[in-house]
Amino acid sequence: MFDNREQLIGVSVQGTIVSPEYPPLPATPYVIGADGRPQLLPSQGGIVYNVRVGDSAFGWLADLVQPGVSIRAGAETANQALNVLSCLGNEAIVVSGQATGARGTVIGKSGRFAEHVIVHFAPETLEQLAIEDKVLVRAYGRSLALTDYTDVQLKSISPQLLDALEVEPDTPGALTVPVAAEAPAFLVGAGSGLMHESGCIQIQTDHKDALAEHGLDELRLGDVVAVRDYDSRWGNGYLKDAVCVGVVVHGDSPRAGYGPGVTVIMASTNNRIRPTLRAERNIAELLGLGTAVEAPA
Amino acid sequence: MLRINADSLVEVAVYGEVWPPSAARDPYKATSEGLAAVTLGMAGICFQNRVGDPAFGWEADHLEPGVSIRNQHDGAEHALHYLACIGNEAVVTSGASRGARGTVTGEHAHVLVDFPPASIELLAIGDRIQVKAYGTGLQLLDHPDVQLHKCSPRLLEALRLESLPDGRLQVPVVAEIPSQLMGSGAELMADYVDQDFMTGDRAEMARLGLDRLRLGDIVLVRDQDHTWGRGYYEGAVTIGLIIHGDSAWAGHGPGVLDLMSSRGPAIAGVPDADANIAWRLGLRDPAADDVRAPGAVSSYAGIEQV
Repeated sequence: MFDNREQLIGVSVQGTIVSPEYPPLPATPYVIGADGRPQLLPSQGGIVYNVRVGDSAFGWLADLVQPGVSIRAGAETANQALNVLSCLGNEAIVVSGQATGARGTVIGKSGRFAEHVIVHFAPETLEQLAIEDKVLVRAYGRSLALTDYTDVQLKSISPQLLDALEVEPDTPGALTVPVAAEAPAFLVGAGSGLMHESGCIQIQTDHKDALAEHGLDELRLGDVVAVRDYDSRWGNGYLKDAVCVGVVVHGDSPRAGYGPGVTVIMASTNNRIRPTLRAERNIAELLGLGTAVEAPA
Repeated sequence: MLRINADSLVEVAVYGEVWPPSAARDPYKATSEGLAAVTLGMAGICFQNRVGDPAFGWEADHLEPGVSIRNQHDGAEHALHYLACIGNEAVVTSGASRGARGTVTGEHAHVLVDFPPASIELLAIGDRIQVKAYGTGLQLLDHPDVQLHKCSPRLLEALRLESLPDGRLQVPVVAEIPSQLMGSGAELMADYVDQDFMTGDRAEMARLGLDRLRLGDIVLVRDQDHTWGRGYYEGAVTIGLIIHGDSAWAGHGPGVLDLMSSRGPAIAGVPDADANIAWRLGLRDPAADDVRAPGAVSSYAGIEQV
């Protein structure tokens, strides 16, 4: 399978480790669950010590937990570049503070209201990191395309991750993509109509039976998943027979319309992507990011 | 007659200014089919397009009918958004059209106000418009499982609601929108602006006839619980109001503003082609010359998916 990786440039983008944030007074710090109950939970951001890519996406007492380290750039335009150009699987390097020189891996991008890039580091590096430390990403992969599959768009994916996905030729112009799970379009909530070259779409989890029926109640952070009848080529929206593939980047939420976030890495229409279910399709294994710790009971 | 708690509600003034359309230096965005398009259509004074007009077929994106207002102060702007209810009275309080009276018909990027056109010929961008906000906290006392959003008592009366013998609330609606079409706006709470239904699948629009909806139509959204946010929940029912026009962006389309929602089956829709606030609130006469009809056939009829 041929692609255009020789034409891509590698370029630096950079962010700083963000603090968790809450709206200022007089706002309350609560998130309102789908049942109307206010809950006080850790928000997105910061250095998360005990949740790693490979862990369960469910069961954490947190709203949309982002495993590892969340970074953003100060200026809005620079943050857009950080979010758009960073690709899953790209190398990240700590360039200030006690952990200077430590290397990690981009594992996700969060959506509207956060706009973070999510980076995995080894546990010993997390111990040395501080909020506001600078992290540089060697962005490489934007504009990646498969030569013989022009109807399949690639986005936010590094050549390393593409190689690890074990994508196979199907009928002419179509690809088979091994995934851990498939979601139907009606379970996509927040993220429709929002950023598609960065950010994520959310698999909403308020209706537990529907979630279990589609085998989505055991998703792990880092799982490769497909969404059927969903068009992410030029935005995020419903389209019959369109299929997108993405990676689970953050955890569940009690809020209506929210749940594990999926950063899109492939998009197509007319069934040009054929998902096939296979166990252990998780970027922690695919990118060799170390052994996952146990999910909470 | 449905029992409501209108006597307990506080009526309070909120205000905004007629807000100008704005554009970026580079005004292009990608449509859902990957074409560059200019995406103007929001804000300003829409002299031609009012609630009651077709929601599709305009060379505009997210068309906001009537007069768009917002407040330049953040706190007052949120008060305008959260407290103004559909059907509330608005009055121009500055400029040459001072004293003209209109009606709140939507809440999107701006609060949308409809005026009789002759009364606002001299309305200017920047003129101040005040709304008598009345409806926050409104409840249907015999339907405790139905949560109301942005309904004024005047709107409730116009909707021609009925209590059914089985205890459900019956609501006349123009159309039903299936859950999987609900798009941009799921990330927001149900009391803040609207949620677009997604129109990128043109064949599906033609099949369902949704592209013949009008601005101001009352619609039912199935399997969506919009009591405390916006999400899928099997059996839930939400009633919405079409407040703005179609969009070419993926995940977008006409805006559905939440009016009522129930997590269980507490709401029943009944088909009614005339369930539109333009006529039901007496803002326009559907037989008048200036009311344009939607196309006789779907604008997407005959479109084959490639």
